Amino acid sequence: MLKIEKLSVRYGTVHAVQDLDLAVAEGELVALLGPNGAGKSSTIEAIIGLVAAGGRVEMDGQDISRLPPELRIRRGLALSPEGRRVFAGLTVAENLRLAAATRRDRAGVRADTDRFMELFPVLRARMHQPAGTLSGGEQQMLAIARALMTRPRLLLLDEPSLGLAPRIVQRIFEVIAELKAGGMTILLVEQNAAHALRLADRAYVLGAGRLQYQGPARDLASDRLMSLYIGG
Amino acid sequence: MEYALQQLLNALAFGAEYALVALGLAVVFSIMGLVNFAYGEIIAASAYAVLLAVAVGLAAPLAAVGLAIAMGILASVLLERVAFRPVRRAPLTTGLLTAFGVSIVLQNLFQLFISPRPQALPLLNGLNQTLMVGPYAVSSLQLMQLATAIVAGGALVWFLNRTTLGIAMRAAAGDFATVRLQGIRADRVVAAAFALSGLLAGIAAVFVLARRGSVAPDMGFMLVLKAFVACVIGGFGSLAGAALGGMVLGFIEVGLLVLLPAEYGGIKETLTYCIVIALLLLRPEGLMGTRRELGDKEA
Amino acid sequence: MADSSFASAPLGAPAPVSATAPAARGRRRMLRALVGGLVVALPVLVIALGIDLLAPGHYRHMASIAMINLMIVLGLQVYMGNSGIVHLGHSAFVGLGAYGVAILATPVAMKALSIPDAPLGLAQVQLHPLGAALAALAVVGVIALLTGLIIARLSGVAATIVSLAFLIVCHGMFLNWPALFKGNQAFFGIPREIGFWGVAAAAAGTVVLARLFRESRTGMQLRASAQDMQAARALGLDVTRLRRRAWILSALICGGAGVMFAYLTGTISPRAFYFQQVFLTLAMLILGGMATVTGAVLGTLLLSVGLEVIRRAESGLDLGFVALPQMLGLSGVALGIVIVLGMALRPQGLAGRLELDEYIATTLRRGRSTAAPGTAQGEREK
Repeated sequence: MLKIEKLSVRYGTVHAVQDLDLAVAEGELVALLGPNGAGKSSTIEAIIGLVAAGGRVEMDGQDISRLPPELRIRRGLALSPEGRRVFAGLTVAENLRLAAATRRDRAGVRADTDRFMELFPVLRARMHQPAGTLSGGEQQMLAIARALMTRPRLLLLDEPSLGLAPRIVQRIFEVIAELKAGGMTILLVEQNAAHALRLADRAYVLGAGRLQYQGPARDLASDRLMSLYIGG
Repeated sequence: MEYALQQLLNALAFGAEYALVALGLAVVFSIMGLVNFAYGEIIAASAYAVLLAVAVGLAAPLAAVGLAIAMGILASVLLERVAFRPVRRAPLTTGLLTAFGVSIVLQNLFQLFISPRPQALPLLNGLNQTLMVGPYAVSSLQLMQLATAIVAGGALVWFLNRTTLGIAMRAAAGDFATVRLQGIRADRVVAAAFALSGLLAGIAAVFVLARRGSVAPDMGFMLVLKAFVACVIGGFGSLAGAALGGMVLGFIEVGLLVLLPAEYGGIKETLTYCIVIALLLLRPEGLMGTRRELGDKEA
Repeated sequence: MADSSFASAPLGAPAPVSATAPAARGRRRMLRALVGGLVVALPVLVIALGIDLLAPGHYRHMASIAMINLMIVLGLQVYMGNSGIVHLGHSAFVGLGAYGVAILATPVAMKALSIPDAPLGLAQVQLHPLGAALAALAVVGVIALLTGLIIARLSGVAATIVSLAFLIVCHGMFLNWPALFKGNQAFFGIPREIGFWGVAAAAAGTVVLARLFRESRTGMQLRASAQDMQAARALGLDVTRLRRRAWILSALICGGAGVMFAYLTGTISPRAFYFQQVFLTLAMLILGGMATVTGAVLGTLLLSVGLEVIRRAESGLDLGFVALPQMLGLSGVALGIVIVLGMALRPQGLAGRLELDEYIATTLRRGRSTAAPGTAQGEREK
């Protein structure tokens, strides 16, 4: 579904990502792992179009690397960004409404809203509160619901568990598992490698902007992963 | 008593005009972080469009109102495409100076192609009549200004809170990149903001024309400068602050007009600005402002 | 922390600092700034010499005006270039300086004609030109101190708007207080105390002064705060105080330029210190690049020449085969376009981030050792 060839991201003279090849097939959950500063977020931002990048990004066989982010969304990509970035001054309902802005199926939007309220019951009570007043975990749930509201076929999750309490992290990963069970294709960026690998089909490990490992997630034993992280 | 009411209406009408223009500035600033110094020239462009229409024989007041508003929207959207889009992601200062440059260019183009001197344009003077409301003589223009400002303000609030585009504009004021992540076209949101701002400029042009009965290259510049001051009083970037600041400015001006003897009329402007500066001493961030530092634009 | 990350400001010219004491380091830095300032001032003096020796007489007057404009642009650079905040009211200080000496130094007999009813008995006062200049600068300084108290506390945009409001307030005062300023009419009879070389010396001195400020502790801290306000505050820098200092120095330089203007031309009017001058000097600074003193000099030079050409076109041009009509507003259009294009294509200006001497030093070093690794600029850690 998604195919990336020779992706490179540069900030001035610093190469954040170099010559990365990566692919995600339909129905897969792929984990993108690596230590801090390895280039994971830059990769995600390049896929969605928020940073300029060299190389090729393909969705369903079509080159999308020249498209602005909003048109990539319309091709079926969605991102729950790092740090959540909910619209703090808007209510939960307005956040969701914006995400549904490009959809024409009103009934579908209503059904989806109901579905997300079931998935994240905490949001239901807060529908008309400004999103900025939500807790970190609630904001993360809203960010995921918001990404889903655009009806993606490939969901990009950037650090969904960052800075959250263990109980909330547990819940977030339960939701990711449910989404996968429902057939959603997911590219998951995580610092919490153990959690991510338990769910993932395949994994890529980045180090210093380059690919260090790719293969089935279960083959990535913890000692191997450790050495990749430390830079063995 | 009648005098007091008269001056109250006067203050409200002045304030309404400033508030309208300040809102036009604030809409663009809050979303784009652009300090649009060329806004006065958008107002002037609307007025010149009416002048040209009259010159070719289109002299219906109602059509002139429509034309002024259409021209305001067109000029505003056009300026965004031509001049402001290249500096959209640049720092605040770059955008401010660009707009300042555009303002100079347009003012001088009006001079070059039309005339440096004011041109008489009495077409809309009919809007400004003296009405008798009970025992009171009031200006129809002032009533209209007040009513229009209230309606426009209400419509703006409705638009920003009830329509998807309006919500997107509010969201974009905080985090433009994430708005694009919702599949919403950035250019559309920006164009909408500029169109809205241009619409308000067109309305302002109608009022200025009705009051002055003439057009001049710098007719918008001084008005916009006052509207900027209104924004600063109210808190830069806040829509409610812009409206409030405009009203405060109207009351200061009319207050001075009432209190100052006629022979000191010349220093009214000077005193107004002095009072404003004193206000800022008390509240540097403005009446409704949250402190916004230079370089906050990306945040 | 403060010293290591911010005080190494001149990019591409890393200071040879290691074990030297801070005071000695500071002295050496200022010495280098002095030399650098002289390097930048040198072209100004060379051009002045060239005009003095070679050009016909009326060019001397034009060049004098251009050098006064250079002083104004430098005054603008001191505040705007270092604080990163747009200043649109600097011409008010030029006007205050000019009117200051006009009121204080003009002969009493002349003032009996022009401003007989001046308040405080000023019509009966006549100071020595130097004393008048110092008094005028003192007035400018006090007004700058008072306005600086407000301006420096405001956020960037608000400060810009208020600087513009200040310009209008001063202009309104010149116009509407005829007893003191002669209103709309020209104030004439100011002793013409300054000649071509006096102005040239003042301009060159101002170049050095602006450069010294740029490299001073205050200047560097201010530039650092313009880069990152939060970081500067976190390091305990009092940004308000830094801005206020730059504002006052900027005002004094502009006021000095006004004094020069009055003493050079002998006649002033309010219109000279209004938007026209603001546009002109702003465009000069933007074209050259506001980050450096070199940019101020370069922009003034280029636009002074360019505008002279346009002015001729503006007042009607006879090209031999066709006579172009008078085109009022052409120079304004040109200035605006310089600003707009400059911002769109090269927002850092022609001179960029390096001063002339730094540029020369970098070029020489590169020429000497071609294999030297390029100094990393603007690295961004993700």
